[in-house]
Amino acid sequence: MTGNNKMRATGVIFIACVCGWFVMELEILGVRALAPYFGSAVYVVMGSVVGVFLLSLSAGYMSGGWLSKKVNIQRMLGINLILCGTWLFAMPAFIEPVCDGMYNIGLDERWGSLLAAIILFGLPTMLLGTVTPSAVQWLTRQASDSGVNAGLVLALSTTASFAGCVVTAFYLVLVSLRLTIRISGIILFVLGCAILVQAVLRRRRWTSSS
Amino acid sequence: MDKLVLKLCFCAAIVWQATTAGTAAGARWGRLVHKRDSLYQVIYVYKQGTVVTLRFGKQPAEQLQSQVDVSNLRQHRLEYTKIAFCGMLYKPAPRRILVLGLGGGVIPREMHHYFPTTLIDVVEIDPEIPKIAREFFCFAEDDRLKVHIADGRMFIRERIRRKVEDKYDIVILDAFNSEYIPFHLTTKEFLEEVKEVLADDGVVVANVFYNNRLFEAQCATFLAVFGRCQVFFGSYTNNAMLVSPGQKCQTLTIREAMKQANILQHKANPAFDMLAVSKQFRPSIRPAPSVKVLTDDRAPVNRLQKQKRRRTEQQDNETAGKRKEADLTVDNTPSPY
Repeated sequence: MTGNNKMRATGVIFIACVCGWFVMELEILGVRALAPYFGSAVYVVMGSVVGVFLLSLSAGYMSGGWLSKKVNIQRMLGINLILCGTWLFAMPAFIEPVCDGMYNIGLDERWGSLLAAIILFGLPTMLLGTVTPSAVQWLTRQASDSGVNAGLVLALSTTASFAGCVVTAFYLVLVSLRLTIRISGIILFVLGCAILVQAVLRRRRWTSSS
Repeated sequence: MDKLVLKLCFCAAIVWQATTAGTAAGARWGRLVHKRDSLYQVIYVYKQGTVVTLRFGKQPAEQLQSQVDVSNLRQHRLEYTKIAFCGMLYKPAPRRILVLGLGGGVIPREMHHYFPTTLIDVVEIDPEIPKIAREFFCFAEDDRLKVHIADGRMFIRERIRRKVEDKYDIVILDAFNSEYIPFHLTTKEFLEEVKEVLADDGVVVANVFYNNRLFEAQCATFLAVFGRCQVFFGSYTNNAMLVSPGQKCQTLTIREAMKQANILQHKANPAFDMLAVSKQFRPSIRPAPSVKVLTDDRAPVNRLQKQKRRRTEQQDNETAGKRKEADLTVDNTPSPY
Protein backbone atom coordinates (compact mmCIF):
# COMPACT_ATOMS: atom_id res chain seq x y z
CA MET A 1 0.00 0.00 0.00
CA THR A 2 2.81 2.42 0.92
CA GLY A 3 4.67 1.48 -2.26
CA ASN A 4 1.56 2.26 -4.23
CA ASN A 5 1.22 5.58 -2.42
CA LYS A 6 4.82 6.49 -3.17
CA MET A 7 4.30 5.70 -6.83
CA ARG A 8 1.21 7.84 -6.91
CA ALA A 9 2.98 10.73 -5.16
CA THR A 10 5.88 10.55 -7.64
CA GLY A 11 3.45 10.55 -10.53
CA VAL A 12 1.51 13.54 -9.23
CA ILE A 13 4.65 15.55 -8.56
CA PHE A 14 5.98 14.64 -12.00
CA ILE A 15 2.82 16.05 -13.60
CA ALA A 16 3.10 19.23 -11.51
CA CYS A 17 6.73 19.62 -12.60
CA VAL A 18 5.97 19.13 -16.28
CA CYS A 19 3.27 21.79 -16.05
CA GLY A 20 5.61 24.11 -14.13
CA TRP A 21 8.15 23.76 -16.92
CA PHE A 22 5.66 24.53 -19.68
CA VAL A 23 4.26 27.61 -17.90
CA MET A 24 7.63 29.34 -18.03
CA GLU A 25 8.58 27.99 -21.44
CA LEU A 26 5.35 29.41 -22.80
CA GLU A 27 5.87 32.72 -21.04
CA ILE A 28 9.30 33.28 -22.59
CA LEU A 29 8.20 32.13 -26.02
CA GLY A 30 5.15 34.40 -25.63
CA VAL A 31 7.34 37.47 -25.28
CA ARG A 32 9.33 36.29 -28.28
CA ALA A 33 6.18 35.62 -30.35
CA LEU A 34 4.56 39.02 -29.77
CA ALA A 35 7.69 41.15 -30.30
CA PRO A 36 7.42 41.23 -34.12
CA TYR A 37 3.90 42.62 -33.87
CA PHE A 38 4.12 44.96 -30.90
CA GLY A 39 7.79 45.91 -30.96
CA SER A 40 10.62 45.25 -28.59
CA ALA A 41 9.77 48.05 -26.19
CA VAL A 42 10.59 45.98 -23.13
CA TYR A 43 8.02 47.47 -20.85
CA VAL A 44 5.17 46.83 -23.27
CA VAL A 45 5.29 43.23 -24.49
CA MET A 46 7.11 41.84 -21.45
CA GLY A 47 4.69 43.56 -19.08
CA SER A 48 1.65 42.32 -20.98
CA VAL A 49 2.76 38.72 -21.23
CA VAL A 50 4.04 38.38 -17.65
CA GLY A 51 0.93 40.13 -16.33
CA VAL A 52 -1.41 37.90 -18.28
CA PHE A 53 0.43 34.81 -17.09
CA LEU A 54 0.06 35.81 -13.46
CA LEU A 55 -3.60 36.60 -13.86
CA SER A 56 -4.31 33.35 -15.71
CA LEU A 57 -2.36 31.35 -13.15
CA SER A 58 -4.44 32.78 -10.31
CA ALA A 59 -7.62 32.00 -12.23
CA GLY A 60 -6.26 28.47 -12.70
CA TYR A 61 -5.40 28.07 -9.00
CA MET A 62 -8.85 29.26 -8.03
CA SER A 63 -10.81 27.06 -10.41
CA GLY A 64 -8.47 24.08 -9.96
CA GLY A 65 -8.90 24.20 -6.21
CA TRP A 66 -12.64 24.57 -6.50
CA LEU A 67 -13.02 21.78 -9.06
CA SER A 68 -10.81 19.36 -7.14
CA LYS A 69 -13.46 19.31 -4.42
CA LYS A 70 -16.32 18.69 -6.85
CA VAL A 71 -15.08 16.25 -9.48
CA ASN A 72 -12.67 13.35 -9.95
CA ILE A 73 -9.26 15.03 -9.81
CA GLN A 74 -7.46 12.64 -12.08
CA ARG A 75 -10.04 12.91 -14.81
CA MET A 76 -10.17 16.66 -14.54
CA LEU A 77 -6.37 16.90 -14.83
CA GLY A 78 -6.35 14.61 -17.86
CA ILE A 79 -9.01 16.64 -19.64
CA ASN A 80 -7.32 19.94 -18.75
CA LEU A 81 -3.97 18.81 -20.11
CA ILE A 82 -5.58 17.49 -23.30
CA LEU A 83 -7.35 20.83 -23.81
CA CYS A 84 -4.16 22.76 -23.08
CA GLY A 85 -2.13 20.58 -25.45
CA THR A 86 -4.67 20.97 -28.23
CA TRP A 87 -4.73 24.73 -27.76
CA LEU A 88 -0.93 24.96 -27.88
CA PHE A 89 -0.78 22.76 -30.96
CA ALA A 90 -3.23 25.02 -32.79
CA MET A 91 -2.00 28.36 -31.40
CA PRO A 92 0.97 29.11 -33.73
CA ALA A 93 -1.48 29.48 -36.62
CA PHE A 94 -3.40 32.16 -34.71
CA ILE A 95 -0.54 34.37 -33.58
CA GLU A 96 -0.51 36.51 -36.70
CA PRO A 97 -4.28 36.94 -37.23
CA VAL A 98 -4.83 37.74 -33.55
CA CYS A 99 -2.02 40.32 -33.41
CA ASP A 100 -3.09 41.95 -36.66
CA GLY A 101 -6.67 41.91 -35.42
CA MET A 102 -5.66 44.01 -32.42
CA TYR A 103 -4.58 46.83 -34.72
CA ASN A 104 -7.64 46.44 -36.89
CA ILE A 105 -9.91 47.08 -33.92
CA GLY A 106 -7.86 50.17 -33.15
CA LEU A 107 -5.77 49.15 -30.13
CA ASP A 108 -2.23 50.48 -29.66
CA GLU A 109 0.76 48.29 -28.80
CA ARG A 110 0.02 48.42 -25.07
CA TRP A 111 -3.62 47.35 -24.92
CA GLY A 112 -3.19 45.39 -28.14
CA SER A 113 -0.38 43.26 -26.76
CA LEU A 114 -2.27 42.80 -23.49
CA LEU A 115 -5.42 41.60 -25.20
CA ALA A 116 -3.47 39.44 -27.66
CA ALA A 117 -1.63 37.84 -24.73
CA ILE A 118 -4.95 37.16 -22.98
CA ILE A 119 -6.45 35.58 -26.07
CA LEU A 120 -3.42 33.49 -26.98
CA PHE A 121 -1.99 32.51 -23.60
CA GLY A 122 -4.85 33.05 -21.14
CA LEU A 123 -6.58 29.69 -21.50
CA PRO A 124 -3.54 27.37 -21.66
CA THR A 125 -1.91 29.09 -18.68
CA MET A 126 -5.12 28.87 -16.69
CA LEU A 127 -5.39 25.17 -17.48
CA LEU A 128 -1.79 24.63 -16.39
CA GLY A 129 -2.59 26.60 -13.22
CA THR A 130 -5.31 24.12 -12.21
CA VAL A 131 -2.65 21.45 -11.76
CA THR A 132 -1.02 22.78 -8.58
CA PRO A 133 -4.03 22.87 -6.22
CA SER A 134 -5.44 19.60 -7.52
CA ALA A 135 -2.04 17.93 -7.13
CA VAL A 136 -1.99 19.06 -3.50
CA GLN A 137 -5.52 17.73 -3.00
CA TRP A 138 -4.62 14.46 -4.71
CA LEU A 139 -1.61 13.91 -2.45
CA THR A 140 -3.33 14.89 0.75
CA ARG A 141 -4.98 12.07 2.68
CA GLN A 142 -5.33 13.87 6.00
CA ALA A 143 -5.59 17.56 6.86
CA SER A 144 -2.33 17.62 8.83
CA ASP A 145 -0.38 16.70 5.65
CA SER A 146 -1.74 19.58 3.61
CA GLY A 147 1.06 22.04 4.45
CA VAL A 148 3.83 19.54 3.68
CA ASN A 149 2.20 18.52 0.43
CA ALA A 150 1.51 22.07 -0.70
CA GLY A 151 5.13 22.99 0.05
CA LEU A 152 6.44 19.96 -1.81
CA VAL A 153 4.32 20.51 -4.91
CA LEU A 154 5.03 24.24 -5.08
CA ALA A 155 8.75 23.85 -4.47
CA LEU A 156 9.25 21.16 -7.09
CA SER A 157 7.01 22.65 -9.77
CA THR A 158 8.61 26.07 -9.29
CA THR A 159 12.05 24.50 -9.61
CA ALA A 160 10.85 22.93 -12.84
CA SER A 161 9.65 26.39 -13.91
CA PHE A 162 13.14 27.69 -13.29
CA ALA A 163 14.59 24.96 -15.50
CA GLY A 164 12.00 25.65 -18.20
CA CYS A 165 12.83 29.32 -18.04
CA VAL A 166 16.58 28.91 -18.41
CA VAL A 167 16.51 26.15 -21.02
CA THR A 168 14.02 28.09 -23.15
CA ALA A 169 15.84 31.39 -22.93
CA PHE A 170 19.28 29.89 -23.58
CA TYR A 171 18.59 27.06 -26.00
CA LEU A 172 15.03 26.69 -27.26
CA VAL A 173 15.06 30.20 -28.78
CA LEU A 174 17.64 28.85 -31.23
CA VAL A 175 15.06 26.60 -32.88
CA SER A 176 11.73 27.37 -34.45
CA LEU A 177 9.31 29.12 -32.12
CA ARG A 178 6.19 27.63 -33.65
CA LEU A 179 7.65 24.13 -33.69
CA THR A 180 8.62 24.39 -30.00
CA ILE A 181 5.09 25.43 -29.04
CA ARG A 182 3.57 22.64 -31.15
CA ILE A 183 5.84 19.97 -29.66
CA SER A 184 5.01 21.24 -26.16
CA GLY A 185 1.34 20.89 -27.08
CA ILE A 186 1.86 17.31 -28.23
CA ILE A 187 3.69 16.40 -25.01
CA LEU A 188 0.89 17.85 -22.87
CA PHE A 189 -1.74 16.11 -24.98
CA VAL A 190 -0.04 12.73 -24.60
CA LEU A 191 0.43 13.24 -20.86
CA GLY A 192 -3.24 14.22 -20.51
CA CYS A 193 -4.34 11.11 -22.42
CA ALA A 194 -2.18 8.88 -20.21
CA ILE A 195 -3.68 10.37 -17.06
CA LEU A 196 -7.22 10.03 -18.39
CA VAL A 197 -6.76 6.45 -19.56
CA GLN A 198 -5.32 5.48 -16.18
CA ALA A 199 -8.26 7.17 -14.43
CA VAL A 200 -10.78 5.27 -16.52
CA LEU A 201 -8.99 1.93 -16.08
CA ARG A 202 -8.75 2.35 -12.34
CA ARG A 203 -12.42 3.22 -12.10
CA ARG A 204 -13.34 0.14 -14.15
CA ARG A 205 -11.18 -2.11 -11.97
CA TRP A 206 -12.74 -0.61 -8.88
CA THR A 207 -16.34 -1.07 -10.13
CA SER A 208 -15.70 -4.65 -11.34
CA SER A 209 -14.13 -5.70 -8.04
CA SER A 210 -16.86 -4.27 -5.90
CA MET B 1 30.67 49.26 16.32
CA ASP B 2 34.20 48.98 14.96
CA LYS B 3 33.05 46.32 12.60
CA LEU B 4 30.33 48.58 11.28
CA VAL B 5 32.83 51.37 10.62
CA LEU B 6 35.13 48.92 8.90
CA LYS B 7 32.28 47.67 6.74
CA LEU B 8 31.30 51.19 5.80
CA CYS B 9 34.87 52.01 4.84
CA PHE B 10 35.02 48.86 2.77
CA CYS B 11 31.78 49.76 0.95
CA ALA B 12 33.02 53.29 0.34
CA ALA B 13 36.24 51.89 -1.08
CA ILE B 14 34.30 49.64 -3.45
CA VAL B 15 32.07 52.48 -4.62
CA TRP B 16 35.09 54.74 -5.14
CA GLN B 17 36.90 52.01 -7.01
CA ALA B 18 33.87 51.43 -9.24
CA THR B 19 33.40 55.09 -10.09
CA THR B 20 37.05 55.74 -10.82
CA ALA B 21 37.23 52.55 -12.90
CA GLY B 22 34.30 53.93 -14.90
CA THR B 23 36.09 57.16 -15.67
CA ALA B 24 39.36 55.39 -16.39
CA ALA B 25 37.63 53.24 -19.00
CA GLY B 26 36.35 56.39 -20.67
CA ALA B 27 39.71 58.15 -20.56
CA ARG B 28 40.32 57.18 -24.18
CA TRP B 29 37.48 59.43 -25.24
CA GLY B 30 38.05 62.13 -22.66
CA ARG B 31 35.89 63.25 -19.78
CA LEU B 32 32.51 61.70 -19.04
CA VAL B 33 30.18 64.68 -19.49
CA HIS B 34 26.81 62.93 -19.40
CA LYS B 35 25.48 59.64 -18.15
CA ARG B 36 21.87 58.62 -18.37
CA ASP B 37 19.88 55.47 -17.66
CA SER B 38 17.20 55.26 -20.28
CA LEU B 39 14.56 52.60 -20.71
CA TYR B 40 16.80 50.70 -23.08
CA GLN B 41 20.40 51.32 -22.16
CA VAL B 42 22.92 53.25 -20.15
CA ILE B 43 24.05 56.16 -22.27
CA TYR B 44 27.52 57.65 -21.83
CA VAL B 45 28.74 60.86 -23.49
CA TYR B 46 32.46 61.63 -23.39
CA LYS B 47 34.18 64.81 -24.46
CA GLN B 48 37.81 65.45 -25.33
CA GLY B 49 38.52 68.89 -26.70
CA THR B 50 35.95 69.29 -29.43
CA VAL B 51 35.40 65.56 -30.00
CA VAL B 52 32.23 64.11 -28.46
CA THR B 53 31.72 60.35 -28.19
CA LEU B 54 28.53 58.38 -27.57
CA ARG B 55 28.60 54.91 -26.02
CA PHE B 56 25.94 52.57 -24.73
CA GLY B 57 26.49 50.44 -21.64
CA LYS B 58 29.52 48.26 -21.25
CA GLN B 59 30.31 47.62 -24.85
CA PRO B 60 33.69 46.21 -25.82
CA ALA B 61 36.17 49.04 -25.48
CA GLU B 62 36.56 49.78 -29.19
CA GLN B 63 32.84 49.99 -29.97
CA LEU B 64 31.37 53.45 -30.25
CA GLN B 65 27.87 54.46 -31.19
CA SER B 66 28.81 57.80 -32.56
CA GLN B 67 31.65 60.29 -32.56
CA VAL B 68 31.55 63.89 -33.68
CA ASP B 69 34.05 66.73 -33.83
CA VAL B 70 31.81 69.68 -33.03
CA SER B 71 34.33 72.13 -34.55
CA ASN B 72 34.26 70.21 -37.83
CA LEU B 73 30.87 68.62 -38.37
CA ARG B 74 31.66 67.52 -41.93
CA GLN B 75 34.33 65.15 -40.72
CA HIS B 76 33.10 61.55 -40.47
CA ARG B 77 35.02 60.09 -37.58
CA LEU B 78 33.48 56.62 -37.89
CA GLU B 79 33.80 54.79 -41.17
CA TYR B 80 30.28 53.37 -41.36
CA THR B 81 28.68 56.82 -41.47
CA LYS B 82 30.50 57.36 -44.79
CA ILE B 83 29.62 53.95 -46.21
CA ALA B 84 25.97 54.68 -45.38
CA PHE B 85 26.02 57.10 -48.33
CA CYS B 86 26.34 54.15 -50.73
CA GLY B 87 22.56 54.27 -51.23
CA MET B 88 23.11 57.50 -53.16
CA LEU B 89 25.11 55.58 -55.77
CA TYR B 90 21.83 53.86 -56.68
CA LYS B 91 19.56 56.85 -56.12
CA PRO B 92 21.62 59.99 -56.79
CA ALA B 93 18.72 62.33 -55.95
CA PRO B 94 16.58 60.69 -53.25
CA ARG B 95 13.33 62.44 -52.40
CA ARG B 96 12.61 60.62 -49.17
CA ILE B 97 14.92 58.77 -46.83
CA LEU B 98 14.02 56.64 -43.82
CA VAL B 99 16.68 55.99 -41.19
CA LEU B 100 16.01 53.48 -38.41
CA GLY B 101 18.20 54.30 -35.42
CA LEU B 102 19.48 57.75 -34.52
CA GLY B 103 22.52 57.46 -32.23
CA GLY B 104 24.48 60.69 -32.46
CA GLY B 105 22.52 61.52 -35.60
CA VAL B 106 25.54 61.76 -37.92
CA ILE B 107 24.01 59.88 -40.87
CA PRO B 108 20.73 61.86 -41.08
CA ARG B 109 22.44 65.16 -40.29
CA GLU B 110 25.04 64.77 -43.02
CA MET B 111 22.50 63.54 -45.57
CA HIS B 112 20.35 66.51 -44.66
CA HIS B 113 23.36 68.75 -45.27
CA TYR B 114 24.39 67.33 -48.65
CA PHE B 115 20.88 66.81 -50.03
CA PRO B 116 19.01 70.01 -49.23
CA THR B 117 15.72 69.00 -50.84
CA THR B 118 15.46 65.50 -49.42
CA LEU B 119 12.91 64.69 -46.72
CA ILE B 120 14.35 62.51 -43.97
CA ASP B 121 12.43 60.52 -41.36
CA VAL B 122 14.41 59.09 -38.48
CA VAL B 123 12.90 56.47 -36.17
CA GLU B 124 14.44 56.00 -32.74
CA ILE B 125 12.99 53.85 -29.98
CA ASP B 126 14.76 55.52 -27.06
CA PRO B 127 13.30 58.96 -26.23
CA GLU B 128 16.51 59.99 -24.45
CA ILE B 129 18.68 59.64 -27.55
CA PRO B 130 17.30 62.60 -29.56
CA LYS B 131 17.75 64.86 -26.52
CA ILE B 132 21.39 63.83 -26.25
CA ALA B 133 21.95 64.12 -30.00
CA ARG B 134 20.60 67.69 -29.88
CA GLU B 135 22.53 68.71 -26.80
CA PHE B 136 25.93 67.18 -27.55
CA PHE B 137 26.09 66.18 -31.21
CA CYS B 138 24.84 69.30 -33.01
CA PHE B 139 21.83 67.42 -34.30
CA ALA B 140 18.85 69.61 -35.18
CA GLU B 141 15.44 68.82 -36.58
CA ASP B 142 13.52 70.95 -39.02
CA ASP B 143 10.68 70.47 -41.46
CA ARG B 144 12.84 68.27 -43.71
CA LEU B 145 14.37 66.19 -40.95
CA LYS B 146 12.06 64.63 -38.41
CA VAL B 147 12.64 62.21 -35.56
CA HIS B 148 9.85 59.79 -34.60
CA ILE B 149 10.00 58.01 -31.26
CA ALA B 150 8.88 54.48 -32.08
CA ASP B 151 9.99 50.92 -32.59
CA GLY B 152 11.27 50.75 -36.18
CA ARG B 153 9.07 47.85 -37.14
CA MET B 154 5.98 49.43 -35.54
CA PHE B 155 6.64 52.65 -37.46
CA ILE B 156 6.81 50.80 -40.77
CA ARG B 157 3.72 48.69 -40.03
CA GLU B 158 1.81 51.79 -39.06
CA ARG B 159 2.73 53.37 -42.40
CA ILE B 160 1.57 50.27 -44.26
CA ARG B 161 -1.70 50.18 -42.30
CA ARG B 162 -2.40 53.83 -42.95
CA LYS B 163 -1.58 53.23 -46.64
CA VAL B 164 0.75 56.23 -46.84
CA GLU B 165 1.35 56.97 -50.52
CA ASP B 166 4.83 58.45 -50.21
CA LYS B 167 7.40 55.72 -50.51
CA TYR B 168 11.02 55.99 -49.46
CA ASP B 169 13.80 56.09 -52.03
CA ILE B 170 16.36 54.96 -49.50
CA VAL B 171 15.77 53.02 -46.27
CA ILE B 172 18.77 52.82 -43.95
CA LEU B 173 18.67 50.16 -41.24
CA ASP B 174 20.95 51.13 -38.40
CA ALA B 175 18.96 50.26 -35.26
CA PHE B 176 21.66 48.14 -33.74
CA ASN B 177 24.61 48.34 -31.51
CA SER B 178 27.44 45.87 -31.63
CA GLU B 179 26.23 44.08 -28.50
CA TYR B 180 22.52 43.76 -28.97
CA ILE B 181 20.53 43.40 -32.17
CA PRO B 182 16.73 43.38 -31.94
CA PHE B 183 15.78 40.16 -33.73
CA HIS B 184 12.53 41.51 -35.12
CA LEU B 185 14.48 44.04 -37.22
CA THR B 186 16.45 41.34 -39.05
CA THR B 187 13.83 38.86 -40.20
CA LYS B 188 12.38 38.05 -43.60
CA GLU B 189 8.94 39.25 -42.47
CA PHE B 190 10.42 42.59 -41.42
CA LEU B 191 12.23 43.08 -44.72
CA GLU B 192 9.02 42.29 -46.55
CA GLU B 193 7.40 45.13 -44.63
CA VAL B 194 10.33 47.39 -45.48
CA LYS B 195 9.80 46.49 -49.12
CA GLU B 196 6.25 47.78 -48.88
CA VAL B 197 7.32 51.26 -47.79
CA LEU B 198 10.19 51.33 -50.29
CA ALA B 199 9.74 52.86 -53.75
CA ASP B 200 10.03 50.29 -56.55
CA ASP B 201 13.19 52.00 -57.73
CA GLY B 202 14.41 52.55 -54.18
CA VAL B 203 17.18 50.86 -52.25
CA VAL B 204 17.60 49.36 -48.77
CA VAL B 205 20.90 49.87 -46.98
CA ALA B 206 21.65 47.89 -43.80
CA ASN B 207 24.53 48.51 -41.46
CA VAL B 208 26.01 45.14 -40.44
CA PHE B 209 29.19 43.65 -39.05
CA TYR B 210 30.86 41.26 -41.45
CA ASN B 211 33.12 39.40 -39.02
CA ASN B 212 30.45 37.10 -37.57
CA ARG B 213 28.03 34.44 -38.72
CA LEU B 214 25.05 36.74 -38.47
CA PHE B 215 26.40 38.49 -41.59
CA GLU B 216 25.85 35.39 -43.73
CA ALA B 217 22.35 34.90 -42.34
CA GLN B 218 21.54 38.54 -43.08
CA CYS B 219 22.82 38.20 -46.65
CA ALA B 220 20.66 35.10 -47.11
CA THR B 221 17.63 36.94 -45.72
CA PHE B 222 18.16 39.97 -47.98
CA LEU B 223 18.54 37.65 -50.97
CA ALA B 224 15.38 35.79 -50.03
CA VAL B 225 13.34 38.99 -49.90
CA PHE B 226 14.89 41.24 -52.55
CA GLY B 227 16.51 38.67 -54.81
CA ARG B 228 19.67 40.74 -55.10
CA CYS B 229 22.22 41.88 -52.57
CA GLN B 230 25.42 43.89 -52.91
CA VAL B 231 27.93 44.84 -50.23
CA PHE B 232 30.17 47.76 -49.38
CA PHE B 233 32.84 46.61 -46.93
CA GLY B 234 34.60 48.80 -44.42
CA SER B 235 38.28 49.15 -45.22
CA TYR B 236 39.55 49.49 -41.65
CA THR B 237 36.54 48.48 -39.57
CA ASN B 238 34.27 45.43 -39.40
CA ASN B 239 31.31 47.45 -40.63
CA ALA B 240 29.71 46.72 -43.96
CA MET B 241 26.59 47.92 -45.71
CA LEU B 242 24.28 45.37 -47.28
CA VAL B 243 22.44 46.95 -50.19
CA SER B 244 19.36 45.52 -51.85
CA PRO B 245 17.72 47.42 -54.68
CA GLY B 246 13.94 47.39 -55.18
CA GLN B 247 12.32 45.68 -58.17
CA LYS B 248 12.85 48.54 -60.62
CA CYS B 249 16.24 49.63 -59.36
CA GLN B 250 19.35 48.49 -61.19
CA THR B 251 22.20 46.78 -59.40
CA LEU B 252 25.62 48.29 -59.98
CA THR B 253 28.74 46.89 -61.54
CA ILE B 254 32.07 47.90 -60.07
CA ARG B 255 32.59 50.33 -62.94
CA GLU B 256 29.16 51.90 -62.44
CA ALA B 257 29.73 52.20 -58.70
CA MET B 258 32.94 54.11 -59.41
CA LYS B 259 31.25 56.30 -61.94
CA GLN B 260 28.34 57.12 -59.63
CA ALA B 261 30.77 57.83 -56.80
CA ASN B 262 32.60 60.25 -59.06
CA ILE B 263 29.38 62.01 -60.01
CA LEU B 264 28.28 62.18 -56.37
CA GLN B 265 31.68 63.53 -55.37
CA HIS B 266 31.32 66.41 -57.82
CA LYS B 267 27.63 67.09 -57.31
CA ALA B 268 27.17 66.89 -53.55
CA ASN B 269 30.86 67.45 -52.89
CA PRO B 270 31.06 65.56 -49.60
CA ALA B 271 34.03 66.24 -47.36
CA PHE B 272 34.96 62.57 -47.45
CA ASP B 273 36.16 60.42 -50.32
CA MET B 274 33.13 58.68 -51.80
CA LEU B 275 35.38 56.99 -54.35
CA ALA B 276 37.21 55.24 -51.53
CA VAL B 277 33.84 53.92 -50.33
CA SER B 278 32.97 52.64 -53.80
CA LYS B 279 36.30 50.82 -54.02
CA GLN B 280 35.15 48.54 -51.22
CA PHE B 281 32.21 47.43 -53.33
CA ARG B 282 31.37 43.81 -53.95
CA PRO B 283 28.69 43.37 -56.63
CA SER B 284 27.35 40.02 -55.51
CA ILE B 285 27.46 37.84 -52.47
CA ARG B 286 26.41 34.21 -52.13
CA PRO B 287 26.18 32.79 -48.63
CA ALA B 288 26.68 29.03 -48.31
CA PRO B 289 23.46 27.10 -49.06
CA SER B 290 23.41 25.77 -45.48
CA VAL B 291 22.93 29.29 -44.10
CA LYS B 292 19.36 29.68 -42.85
CA VAL B 293 17.19 32.69 -43.57
CA LEU B 294 16.18 34.64 -40.43
CA THR B 295 12.45 34.56 -39.79
CA ASP B 296 10.09 35.72 -37.04
CA ASP B 297 9.87 32.05 -36.18
CA ARG B 298 13.58 31.49 -35.82
CA ALA B 299 16.15 34.25 -35.54
CA PRO B 300 18.97 33.47 -33.10
CA VAL B 301 20.66 36.75 -34.01
CA ASN B 302 22.50 37.41 -30.79
CA ARG B 303 23.88 33.87 -30.80
CA LEU B 304 25.02 34.01 -34.44
CA GLN B 305 26.58 37.37 -33.77
CA LYS B 306 28.82 35.91 -31.08
CA GLN B 307 30.10 33.25 -33.48
CA LYS B 308 33.03 34.19 -35.66
CA ARG B 309 32.62 33.63 -39.35
CA ARG B 310 34.17 30.47 -40.73
CA ARG B 311 34.91 31.76 -44.21
CA THR B 312 36.41 35.06 -43.14
CA GLU B 313 39.83 34.58 -44.69
CA GLN B 314 38.61 33.31 -48.01
CA GLN B 315 36.03 36.05 -48.33
CA ASP B 316 38.51 38.69 -47.32
CA ASN B 317 40.82 37.47 -50.05
CA GLU B 318 37.97 37.71 -52.49
CA THR B 319 37.26 41.23 -51.36
CA ALA B 320 40.92 42.08 -51.67
CA GLY B 321 40.86 40.72 -55.23
CA LYS B 322 37.88 42.88 -56.06
CA ARG B 323 39.63 45.85 -54.58
CA LYS B 324 42.57 45.40 -56.93
CA GLU B 325 40.22 45.02 -59.84
CA ALA B 326 38.41 48.14 -58.73
CA ASP B 327 41.66 50.07 -58.56
CA LEU B 328 42.38 49.08 -62.14
CA THR B 329 38.92 50.07 -63.26
CA VAL B 330 39.13 53.51 -61.78
CA ASP B 331 42.38 54.21 -63.61
CA ASN B 332 40.73 53.42 -66.90
CA THR B 333 37.45 55.20 -66.22
CA PRO B 334 37.45 58.65 -67.65
CA SER B 335 35.98 61.06 -65.17
CA PRO B 336 32.82 62.67 -66.48
CA TYR B 337 34.11 66.01 -65.25
